[in-house]
Amino acid sequence: MAHSETAGEPKEHHGSPWPVIIAVGMGVGYVGIVLANIPILLAGVAIFASGTGGWVHQDLQQPSSAFYGLVAAVESKFPKVSARKLGIWLFLVTEIMFFSAIIGSSWTLRLRTGTPGLPSFQGLWATPGEILNVPLTGANTFVLICSSLTMVEALAAVERGDQAKLRLFSLATLLLGITFLGIQAFEYQHLYFGEGLTFTHAPLGVNPLYGATFYAQTGVHGSHVTAGVLGLAYVTRKAFKGGFTKENHEAVELAGLYWHFVDVVWIFLFTIVYLI
Amino acid sequence: MSETATAMQGPGVAEELRKRPYVVVFLILAVVTFVELSVNGLGLPRLETILILVVLATIKGSLVVAYYMHLRYEPRWLALIPLAGLALVAVLVAALTATVAHS
Repeated sequence: MAHSETAGEPKEHHGSPWPVIIAVGMGVGYVGIVLANIPILLAGVAIFASGTGGWVHQDLQQPSSAFYGLVAAVESKFPKVSARKLGIWLFLVTEIMFFSAIIGSSWTLRLRTGTPGLPSFQGLWATPGEILNVPLTGANTFVLICSSLTMVEALAAVERGDQAKLRLFSLATLLLGITFLGIQAFEYQHLYFGEGLTFTHAPLGVNPLYGATFYAQTGVHGSHVTAGVLGLAYVTRKAFKGGFTKENHEAVELAGLYWHFVDVVWIFLFTIVYLI
Repeated sequence: MSETATAMQGPGVAEELRKRPYVVVFLILAVVTFVELSVNGLGLPRLETILILVVLATIKGSLVVAYYMHLRYEPRWLALIPLAGLALVAVLVAALTATVAHS
């Protein structure tokens, strides 16, 4: 935690070049996207991946990281919430807007092209269960809820100083996250190749935009789950190395905030995409 | 550092953590999910079905945010951050509704 890390002997912080490399990788990648240039995009992805790997590797070598500079200034203004947690919450607000845009645009398309009588009508929207496998996704929703419980139990364990349960619950959360992705991959494979639900076509005479909005909404969520799983892999690895203590475990809490947020998004997506 | 973390440094750590209803929240989430899966089979009118499902999803989301994301245990002002995001969502929904209604 912030206070315990700054307590005792002050250590000079030497900084890290990896965040800069990550930013460069993202910049190069976006240039590749804008120019529709695959080699530039791949170069950006490679730089991004090596930067992320380097940063994680560096972090795993040390038990804690220092709070300094801007972070210390922020914490002096908001003494009861660490700067990192404040940053995560602000980041999550941007994620709320991101998902709102995706869901909002999908709903607009649904109402404009799925309402009979409108000049832009292209076909009815699928009813719940007509194309999608609702029970399967209901089970997957349960998997994600279980992972939220194990995540918060992992945090509670390290707050008690219980290393064994921290490792157990971190690993369980990671495996449940992978399970969610596995079931989603199975669902995609079945829908795309089995049912014929593609980005431009839907079976049973359903509105052809149905597939595009379905994959857009669940796909961006799936990519967030993937990022969460990578974060959980880091937390689990560090937990197994004994890198978190009762006094220093903020990474567990921050990874948990992101993971729970992904769960909250799915709670609403499940209702909007599968049940309504 | 959060109040949560500060509280964890004291002697009543185990007692404090025991009071947190993580498993109870999980059971509520599981039951509500089961109810959600059943709502469409009740044969209710479309609008009522949608309203019930949205309310159930809101209950689930609120529980996760309050207990698993610890917003209930944080300083009150921290809740203003997600609430600000939700206010922007409300603006977006209102704008989209107006656009669709206009069409």
